[in-house]
Amino acid sequence: MTHKQILLQNIHQPNQHTISGYESRGGYQTIKKVLRMDPAAVIEEVKASGLRGRGGAGFSTGTKWGFVPKNSGKPVYLLNNADESEPGTFKDRVLLERDPHLCIEGMIMAGWALQSNWSAVYIRGEYGYPFTRINEAVKEAYAKGYLGENIFGSGFTHHMVVHRGAGAYICGEETALINSLEGVKGQPRLKPPFPAVVGLYGCPTIVNNTETLAALPFILEHGAKSYTALGTEKSPGTKLFSVSGHVNKPGVYEIELGYPMEKFIYEDCGGIRGGKKLKAVIPGGSSVPVLRADEIKNVTMDYESIRDAGSMLGSGGFIVMDEDTDMVQVAMNVAHFYSHESCGQCTPCREGGHWIEKIFTRIHHGNGLAGDLELVNNVCGQIAGHTICPFGEALAIPAMSFIKKFPEEFKGLIKDSLVGINKKRELMHYEEIMGAH
Amino acid sequence: MTELVTITIDGEDHKVAKGMNIVDAAALVGVDIPHYCYHPHLSVAGNCRMCQVELNGRPKLEIACNTTASEGLKVNTHHTSKAVKDAQAATLEFILINHPLDCTVCDQAGHCKLQDYHYEYNARPSRFLEEKEHKVKAQPLGPTVMLDGERCIMCSRCVRFCDEITKTSEIGLINRGDKTVIAVDPKHPLSNPLSGTVVDLCPVGALTHREWRFNTRIWFTKQADAICPGCSTGCNVKVATRDGEVVQVKARHNAEVNKEWLCDEGRYGFMRFLPKKRITGVQVHGKAASLQDAAKALKGMQGEGTYVFIAPDLTTEEYRLLKKLKDTALKSAHFVLAYKERSLTDVEKVLISPDYAPNFKGALMCGLVEGNLQKNYEDALAAVIDGSAKQVLVFGDRGILASDASVLMTAAVGRASLTAFIGTDATHPLAEVCSVVIGARSILERSGVLVNRGLRVQYTDKVIEPPQDTVPTWKVLSEIAKVFVVALPAWISDRDVTLWYLAEEQKLAGMTIKSIKQNSLVIGDAHGN
Repeated sequence: MTHKQILLQNIHQPNQHTISGYESRGGYQTIKKVLRMDPAAVIEEVKASGLRGRGGAGFSTGTKWGFVPKNSGKPVYLLNNADESEPGTFKDRVLLERDPHLCIEGMIMAGWALQSNWSAVYIRGEYGYPFTRINEAVKEAYAKGYLGENIFGSGFTHHMVVHRGAGAYICGEETALINSLEGVKGQPRLKPPFPAVVGLYGCPTIVNNTETLAALPFILEHGAKSYTALGTEKSPGTKLFSVSGHVNKPGVYEIELGYPMEKFIYEDCGGIRGGKKLKAVIPGGSSVPVLRADEIKNVTMDYESIRDAGSMLGSGGFIVMDEDTDMVQVAMNVAHFYSHESCGQCTPCREGGHWIEKIFTRIHHGNGLAGDLELVNNVCGQIAGHTICPFGEALAIPAMSFIKKFPEEFKGLIKDSLVGINKKRELMHYEEIMGAH
Repeated sequence: MTELVTITIDGEDHKVAKGMNIVDAAALVGVDIPHYCYHPHLSVAGNCRMCQVELNGRPKLEIACNTTASEGLKVNTHHTSKAVKDAQAATLEFILINHPLDCTVCDQAGHCKLQDYHYEYNARPSRFLEEKEHKVKAQPLGPTVMLDGERCIMCSRCVRFCDEITKTSEIGLINRGDKTVIAVDPKHPLSNPLSGTVVDLCPVGALTHREWRFNTRIWFTKQADAICPGCSTGCNVKVATRDGEVVQVKARHNAEVNKEWLCDEGRYGFMRFLPKKRITGVQVHGKAASLQDAAKALKGMQGEGTYVFIAPDLTTEEYRLLKKLKDTALKSAHFVLAYKERSLTDVEKVLISPDYAPNFKGALMCGLVEGNLQKNYEDALAAVIDGSAKQVLVFGDRGILASDASVLMTAAVGRASLTAFIGTDATHPLAEVCSVVIGARSILERSGVLVNRGLRVQYTDKVIEPPQDTVPTWKVLSEIAKVFVVALPAWISDRDVTLWYLAEEQKLAGMTIKSIKQNSLVIGDAHGN
């Protein structure tokens, strides 16, 4: 099936990343119109479009913009969060690499709506090639006068810089991103105050995902109505899904929200590799609960339907796993990622993350103990909701979901009782001592 | 006037200042909200998660330290909320999974917040069976402080202290997750003039004084609430002693004076007020004599050529006694306080006063000395040198500051007709040349009232027992008073003198030792008059 392509329609054009290529296909036309609009009207239009943040939280973009205090006397900053680091997520990369001017145009629009004269693209450090592309695109835009002072003769000034991260997942969290941009350690800040009020350098700051910003040129060109015409009522528009795992055709797909999930896997993505059976799907990046194959029947790919199925749409990092997948190993892998990426600032995540990883590792190696699964669930409960940033939940919720959805696989590896393992340890210790003599 | 709001803590309404931190507000009304990272004089970090409370009945707990008092706020602590109790137990379990259980050899044991809170809020065996993280042990952060990385709970108080108070930023947190550890750049070790304060701020045993590591268990010590006699800031300190030796000096919290900071000079140099070789007994012309004989020998201390040098670290009671003598028997004598200013660096200015005179405000308050103290002192020194000072009476080792007690000066004192030194240090040059030498007591060996530079009246406890054969300065003064027939009550202890003084001094009317200790009150106006 062919989907309406808003974001990806031009990515296969070989010169789309250049300003001439972008302009030859109608680029930088809508911005001229937008710069003649009242900024408040732009915000209203975006609100009306129902555009929701594509970074994971799915919060209404227009509403978020509305949180910026009016006439605070401070500059407003706009940040493009391109620190795409969630395992399974690689959608923004395509936009930055193949259509960087679309992102830039969207940022200028958001900049105008927020009356912000300064924006930054905070790009994941490992994204070397996308960095080169977006950086060159910004230079081109400056050279043509599309960035800088008096853009398109409107009198509006907008400067843009591209900043590379240093390899921390947590810097995708908006306040950690702001800290990192300021040059301090990338650790989330306490909220309140929220960045829309006190953000970068203590000034009002809006952090939007790359995909969110890239959707603005379409919305403002064709109007909110044509955007709401796509997708479902509560999840309008299209969304990028980065599909990885055991499908025949992995890659980045732009689909209308509300598309059936099974159809997506079996038709769009070409079905499961090697004709095997589907075992599980992680629909929104590694921080969301896993769904079993039997749970995705009748689920459509939008915020509400996936939520009702017990997971989250998240960032659209769509991971497909076939029947041969060892779910304990997956859980261990995910736990390893989160314990490694914990910023170490607050206690539950710093200490709990590693603890969970260690337990999963133990179980995976056949050293599970009776009561381990209850322990993991309990520890996860002690983490979730008690941390500075949502990282705690990102770590705890998927960990619990693996146990909940695939208990037999875990139990199959837990053979020893606590008493047994202690005896074994004692014996090993004894042998060690005896061996030394 | 600060606006008051009504907040409800555990079902009881309280009026507190609007915007007050909830941890402080709760403490004010007698509810202890446990916390590690929060410190009232540092920025809010919110990372330990120990102070979680229920706000307005919402199921998601919030940290009290990032919440301020607003009208109608409802707070439920562990006393009334099971969720809070569970969260505290969970936080402690997390903190302890990578914390070594080496309390048996840890200097912090006995005054450790982790131990205390574990017994108070968790006290259950750990469910953690895995290998603990191993980190740096016994890593010096600088000349004064040693780090045990494994004991650290990453509260970041030391980091914030160096960032926000001294602004020297030596300490940082490096690495991520449970590999996080505090560290310094080897080229810029922790060496600011307040460096030892980070040990006081450390709620666990991660930071220890290199000077005092492993010297004693805290429960074997006697602890005194003293005032540091280093300068006129009057920092509140807690001094631990064992077998007559100072084994640790800690800052005591006083929001109005030193917050909870203390300078290294005051802390590690605390023992400098207790000389190793003491003057004992009373000597007149090199022969042992009674105190009465010595006082009689001082009868000639009269007239224009009499100079009384007074150390700036006597108690206010003693200044009051000296003032009595000045007003009666020694009317024509010159009374000078050894006062000298020095220049300070920006970091030192955070806490240290530019003088060496812990109680010069007390002397001023008593009316004992006045005018330009430093000039009067220097003029008096010049008078000794040029021989116009015929009689020289020196109260206290710092009556003539060590830097001024040159060979020339000592010789000049030796040439005067009648000289007396009431001091403690047997190696002090004046002890050699004065005709009357009396073994007195150090400020650490007595209790009394001190007035700091902000005119805050504070009470210092006796830190250490004085050696045999020494007499308190007030006793010397009352003997001298007897010789000049000035009537004074008969006292037998420091406490008697303080009580007499509090009754005598109009400016301190209504104050008691207890009230001074509790509130450290300010007298006079802001200009120190």
